[in-house]
Amino acid sequence: MSRQFISHDKMTAWLDALSRDRAVLVPMDDCGTVTFRPYVPGRKALLDKMPVRAPKEGVFPQTETLLRFKYDKDPENLDRVKVQVREVLPTQKAVVVGGRPCGARGQLILDRVYNCDTMRDPYYVSRRENTLYVTVACTSAESTCFCHSVGSGPDDSEGSDVLLVPVEGGYVAEGVTERGRELLAEGDFESASQARMDEAGAVISRTRGQLGEAHDYSDAPRKLLERFDDMDFWNEQAAICISCGACTYLCPTCYCFNMTDEQSGLQGKRLRTWDTCMSFEFTLEGSGHNPRPTKAHRLRNRMGHKFAYYPELHEGLIACCGCGRCIKSCPVSLDIRAVVQAAQNHNAVPEEAEEKADA
Amino acid sequence: MHNNPSLPALATVLEVVEETPNIKTFRVRFNDESLMESFSFMPGQVGQLSIFGVGESTFVINSSPTRMDYLQFSVMKVGEVTSRLHQLKAGDTVGVRAPLGNWFPVDEMKGKDVVFVAGGIGMAPLRTLLVYMLDNRADYGKITLLYGARSPVDLSFKYDVEEWMARDDLDVVLTVDAPAEGWEESATRRVGLIPNVLLELNPAPENCVAVTCGPPIMIKFTLQALKKLEFGDEQIITTLEKRMKCGVGLCGRCNIGTKYVCVDGPVFRYSDLKDLPNEL
Amino acid sequence: MSVLQELKEQIRAALPELDMVLGWEQGFDALHMRPLFIRTEKDLERLVLNPLCVHSLATYLPGLLRGAGNDKKVGLVVKGCDSRAVIQLVQEKLIPRDRVVMFGFGCNGIVSLQKLEAGAQGCSGIGSVEFAGDKVVLSAPDTKVELPFAEIRSGKCETCRYHNAIDADHFAGARVEEGAVPAKHPTLEEFEKLPLSERFAFWQEQMRRCVRCYACRNTCPMCVCRDHCIATSRNPHWLTQESSTAENFMFQMIHVMHLTGRCVECGECERACPLDIPLMLLRRSMNGVVRELFAYESGTDPDATPPLLTYQVEEETINERGW
Repeated sequence: MSRQFISHDKMTAWLDALSRDRAVLVPMDDCGTVTFRPYVPGRKALLDKMPVRAPKEGVFPQTETLLRFKYDKDPENLDRVKVQVREVLPTQKAVVVGGRPCGARGQLILDRVYNCDTMRDPYYVSRRENTLYVTVACTSAESTCFCHSVGSGPDDSEGSDVLLVPVEGGYVAEGVTERGRELLAEGDFESASQARMDEAGAVISRTRGQLGEAHDYSDAPRKLLERFDDMDFWNEQAAICISCGACTYLCPTCYCFNMTDEQSGLQGKRLRTWDTCMSFEFTLEGSGHNPRPTKAHRLRNRMGHKFAYYPELHEGLIACCGCGRCIKSCPVSLDIRAVVQAAQNHNAVPEEAEEKADA
Repeated sequence: MHNNPSLPALATVLEVVEETPNIKTFRVRFNDESLMESFSFMPGQVGQLSIFGVGESTFVINSSPTRMDYLQFSVMKVGEVTSRLHQLKAGDTVGVRAPLGNWFPVDEMKGKDVVFVAGGIGMAPLRTLLVYMLDNRADYGKITLLYGARSPVDLSFKYDVEEWMARDDLDVVLTVDAPAEGWEESATRRVGLIPNVLLELNPAPENCVAVTCGPPIMIKFTLQALKKLEFGDEQIITTLEKRMKCGVGLCGRCNIGTKYVCVDGPVFRYSDLKDLPNEL
Repeated sequence: MSVLQELKEQIRAALPELDMVLGWEQGFDALHMRPLFIRTEKDLERLVLNPLCVHSLATYLPGLLRGAGNDKKVGLVVKGCDSRAVIQLVQEKLIPRDRVVMFGFGCNGIVSLQKLEAGAQGCSGIGSVEFAGDKVVLSAPDTKVELPFAEIRSGKCETCRYHNAIDADHFAGARVEEGAVPAKHPTLEEFEKLPLSERFAFWQEQMRRCVRCYACRNTCPMCVCRDHCIATSRNPHWLTQESSTAENFMFQMIHVMHLTGRCVECGECERACPLDIPLMLLRRSMNGVVRELFAYESGTDPDATPPLLTYQVEEETINERGW
């Protein structure tokens, strides 16, 4: 299995070359936090930092204009207004450099929903076809990382076009897809020596060691559904939740959205914007009825969607990438792992259950 | 449908009919004639009506696909979009994204007797199926319609009902919750709650399918009545209403467990609903 | 007896009459505690008390205590700033004082995780945190880092004048002596040296970064509108859902405006922001204006009425006729 290598300087040159005819998003310091920002030559890319926001933004932006409309007064009948509607499809080419394997998994989850046999969302598909992912593997793991427990890992290349493993002096690169290999050709990559490839392997092994033992979530779907009507359980799990939306907006695999019309004068647009299933209004019906009236119901739905419903519909694929952003960014440190594991452990003897939950 | 499921097609309102104080029926035709020609749908499917600048709302296409002069939607005024829809006049433009969702199992119902139990605006989704069956009359057995509302003024499609009551190939029974002025009680114009009248009518479950729609509380008690009459779970069909936005199984609002009401529904058999998590 | 033990005794004694007591417990790792809802002795065993107990538990009170027929009685452990939030909610009659029991203690400040992470560069996998006087010891498998507590203390603690909970029903441990603190927060002092054009440019950058996650809104104890917030309302329709600089700016401005005379500077908004937007600058500035105009400090006097919730024919501090 051959790999390539690029030094840090040449990496910068590669980014410069890519940015000539494409939008390049890289992790950068943005007023003190690291987020994906457009790269221009001269700006410093922080490829060793995981951005707060998820790389899904490259193909699923927070705000998307679906269509524009314009009202015109009908000259033949001033009482009447005519409306013109025009769809707005994205066309820009882009590369997202510096996401992590967990972030790339977001694309896998979204692909199966937004681009499949029965459903093809042209906005997502257009962006997806025009956007490439250069993912950086992880050299260390945090206490909130659990990618290995949900089917991913520190060097998981699924969903990426190129995978870079940081080594001394640069990166060992793998062209995962055909287009990824074409991308590599635009940079000054050399053949990677065996020593370098071994080093890359060692880096990943060390990270895997830091991750510790993976937790088995395979019976989570069944166990979560068993808890469905147990409102005592969900009230307890959701007690500390404050129903904001930080978890959903930073999540690489969340894809729920809202559609709203915004008009100014005689023209306007229809927007698709990220929405959070943790808010009260999400399922509020016109009649006033709400199928998910409390935060307990909504937490149940979120956990259910990620660890039960989605896997059931998509061959066991868990709609969570284990990046830990929700845990880190939750203002009250609600831990998705603890909730799912509490459901998994539910029938165990109470003392045993507590021991397991601490693991 | 376009290859952009989020893009509505423009349609013009041909006619507006006032059904009740808060329900209006809109008959529309696509501006694009070739789209109108090629458009097809099955009874039970829904559409999203757009008022550009305000938003979208979901309604069943309650005309029958056997009569394609126009598409018909009935709107109850409850919120922002529906209020603006109610302001539409003939000649106005509206956006339509249709057809969405699944449909009534019309083929499986062939050769069977059908009992329709409709409450209030719930008559709308049942209307499309009823007219479809009447236009394919030979394919179906005995058809019974039980249609109830709070009061006589709340009954929609009065013009249709008159026509149906005049036919001899279906039985129609209307009911209102309480006695009302001008409502002359008879075998076909009763006073009583829908589930109770249903029990009185006592339809036989053998080779029969019951299709019901209406306010949640009515459906709940109608289901109980149907079970009492010994209808099997697979013999009871209903259509659900949920908050829908995208209508194509993406935005995550309308799911009940693994089922998306906009894709796997809105038509469901009771046997399917029973297996779903309790999140109606 | 340690402060924690004393606190536990106090809670234990009061628990039979309360539906629950809100406190803190160990979270998912050494650096994170999380809120704890105490109902039983077993729950009480999990209670912790340390400078990582950063959350203001007052934010749960309106949700727990309001509603027709609600007669719950709730206790909560409060730092000084948390107690101000409770007092302010009482002043606005959003919660009834007689159904809240405050367990106070003397607070010397809480940790800013941002500062801790900056100070602990190179120390990954922190397994334990020890607070020893004015030092903090962070231990990882292969390293140990000692930091002065003052260096990792939250910015809001720099101008704190209420180390001890106000109007607490119970108090554990000794009171902390209040020292002299600058009247204006150093960060605001610095910021106000900038010309207006630079200040505006600064906020445009910050507002571009906002994700409209509403973490700031939902952690705020004073934000009780929650599900009916103007930010997500279509009627009235003040904001679009577009996450643009202009819309985000509008949201944040509305938020600050709706907190005028109400914000107790607990700093939860800034702590909760996943993008670390310096929201407290706005609030400190607003509170400065309120102090100047109305000589009012929110959340300090349970019997006071917030200035924007009342009307005076002649404002004591506004020299209308003299102008």
